[in-house]
Amino acid sequence: MSGILIHLPSERRTEPAMTRRLGPGEAARFGRGSKVRPVELVLPDPAVSRLAGEIRVTEDHWQLSNFSTTHSYLVENPEGAGEYLRIPPRRSGAPIPFEFARVVLPTRGSTVSFQVFAPDHVYLDADDPGGSWGTRTLNAYSLDETATYFLVLVALCEPRLRDESAVSVPTTPQVVERLRGHPALTRLTARAVSSHIDYLAEQKLRVRGPQDRADAGGGARRTGKREIVVGVALRFGLVREEHLALLPPRTAPGLPLPDPARSGGHR
Amino acid sequence: MNGASETYGGKYDEIVDGITSRGTGTSAGATGETGGPVPPGFRVGRWEVTAPIADGGWGRVYEGRDTRTEATGEVADGDTGDARRVALKFLATSGLAPRQAERLAETVRREIDFGSRATHPRLMRLLDSVVLGDTGVPGLDGAVVLVMERAECSLQDLLDASNGGPLPDAGRLLTEVCEGLAHLHGLGWVHGDLKPDNVLIMADGSVRLSDFGLTVELEGTRGTHGYIPPLGSPDYLPPERWRAPLDERGVRVRPSADVWALGVMIHQVFTGGASPFPGATSTARASAVQEYAEGRAPLRLHVMLPEFWRALAADCLLPAHTERAAHTGESLLARVRAADAHTDGPPTTGGRARGRAAVLAAGAALALLGVGVGVGVGGAAWWQGGGGGSGDDPRTSPVAKLRVYNADAKCRDRADRHPLCGLGLAIDPARPYVLDNVVATRVWHGDVLTVECGLEHGVPITDEVGFRSSRWYRVRLPTTADKDKGTDTSMDTDSGTVRATAWLPDVRTRSRPGVPACTTA
Repeated sequence: MSGILIHLPSERRTEPAMTRRLGPGEAARFGRGSKVRPVELVLPDPAVSRLAGEIRVTEDHWQLSNFSTTHSYLVENPEGAGEYLRIPPRRSGAPIPFEFARVVLPTRGSTVSFQVFAPDHVYLDADDPGGSWGTRTLNAYSLDETATYFLVLVALCEPRLRDESAVSVPTTPQVVERLRGHPALTRLTARAVSSHIDYLAEQKLRVRGPQDRADAGGGARRTGKREIVVGVALRFGLVREEHLALLPPRTAPGLPLPDPARSGGHR
Repeated sequence: MNGASETYGGKYDEIVDGITSRGTGTSAGATGETGGPVPPGFRVGRWEVTAPIADGGWGRVYEGRDTRTEATGEVADGDTGDARRVALKFLATSGLAPRQAERLAETVRREIDFGSRATHPRLMRLLDSVVLGDTGVPGLDGAVVLVMERAECSLQDLLDASNGGPLPDAGRLLTEVCEGLAHLHGLGWVHGDLKPDNVLIMADGSVRLSDFGLTVELEGTRGTHGYIPPLGSPDYLPPERWRAPLDERGVRVRPSADVWALGVMIHQVFTGGASPFPGATSTARASAVQEYAEGRAPLRLHVMLPEFWRALAADCLLPAHTERAAHTGESLLARVRAADAHTDGPPTTGGRARGRAAVLAAGAALALLGVGVGVGVGGAAWWQGGGGGSGDDPRTSPVAKLRVYNADAKCRDRADRHPLCGLGLAIDPARPYVLDNVVATRVWHGDVLTVECGLEHGVPITDEVGFRSSRWYRVRLPTTADKDKGTDTSMDTDSGTVRATAWLPDVRTRSRPGVPACTTA
């Protein structure tokens, strides 16, 4: 349980986006803000009210309060193929079930939005579903096997799972290429793949690796991180042979034609 | 101990080979297979399966017996009774994907590695490990069987049956858990998965720590930590584990993780299994652990915890592992033993500040020996939990007396029974000690009252100078016949019935009457 991450877009193009972490039980208000009523998350759009709402971290998810008396807010699941929630005016503490969410506030013209990530979502062990979770000895790192980051992880692990290479880990362009055949990921970009790898490394698995060393350069750092993510995922069975079925069939030139073992998994 | 290591010499390779070579079966539908049921009479080496015990996440456990013991009629080290009963833990390997088999092999390796090197009366003994060949029983070919001592039940079973109250033997159980943990830490190991499910109770009531599947030997330049797979039981994980970095060795684990788990267990044995952290689900409780660790919520331990164990649990549950590191299995055990020696009995009845305990040491020793003030017959002392209702009947119990003590020095100096110096007696020691729970009769410093019995876990009371106890005494209300100068009321009437007894909190006396435990509050 480490809380949630809130990514606020930058006020100006030149500034980087602001990221704020909230721990369990913590709350942050958002809105335009004022001297009398300062808010933790500033959305400097004249159409946003001074105190527009509040986010509170509860257990493994978060709650959204809508302080507006007239406007509904939308919470979209960017990976949910159009899945969204409408939070009506004055709704207090609506639980948000998405691991990834985009909070959209209505404005004139364009919308104001920010993202909230909840990496603590708990999934039951594949080996042992059901039963009381608290006293079972379980894997402490749970991954959503339907999320895009999981597909990225499986694509990274694929060569080693297929025993094609004991050492090589695909590069970001190779991952993009490998996943492009997936119906939901036709528009996957290299930047998105890099963010998914960062999210896996820093939020989900919290790998200890070259990024903890000051001397590693940018490119080497990312390569090292990718290798450790793959190493950890395979070592502790987070990605297994049966997950290869989640990947689109291999059609890339230069590879042998698919044989029946492909879709069924590794033999 | 040497014999034990001989048993496992070279066996580890054989077992791991057995698991991984047989584990490369079909990967489809491989998850969750724990093998088929093992029929009674099935032989595993010299051991014979007699009955199923439990299904675990990683295998099934059966009761078994040692056929060799029966055949030769020998009775092994101190065991009495017919054949030595054992527990047989079957870990099926058929149908596992290679990587699942590796995980299982690692668990087995840790169990055997530790089991062959640590022998202690508080640690579950691994008697043997066997790899099955072709058995003819579906799902059993290639299974690994760990043979262990047979336990009666687990601490979790006791908690489940406790109905929300403290376990009768809480102090002793915890002391024995501390003994096991101190030994394990002393050897330079971390248990890694300490929880009531893994604390087993033997037929004689003694405690054994078990399940060494995540147990690891400390490494690092000063032996400060080890690495285990990222597995754990959420309700017992220390706050730092939720953010612990992971690499291919696993997550770093320190002895302070066991100490945290011990803190949670101390709370549980006094509260019928309730976690010290609020929440209906383990997710909510894990989140509460973080709130506490980040300083946004205080530690709220249940009032049922006796003073000594409350202090110990609070130290075990210090938020930072660096703070917790000051409390090792050894130092905790030393405190438990010191409390044991210096207070009025094992710290299960605790409820006593350590400063006061020292003052009372002499009297406590007497009380422990069963020759406390006024005790004519040496019955079972009530804090020892036995006795049943034998001493509860005032007609048969020996007459014990106590002298009322007022913590206010000004009141101790005056003998005029001033109303402001009068002390109340409770109607019900399980309810708050407030005006509507107090009988009309009051008592004053120096009064001598007849005690019928003692109650260990009433509402804890703290007196004016900070002494705290949850112990209460059922006393007979003073009658005019008992006194030369009586008060005007000698009997209380409550809905028409005459009240003959009431409850005096332990903090209102310095006497240590040796009295039986009350059977009813």
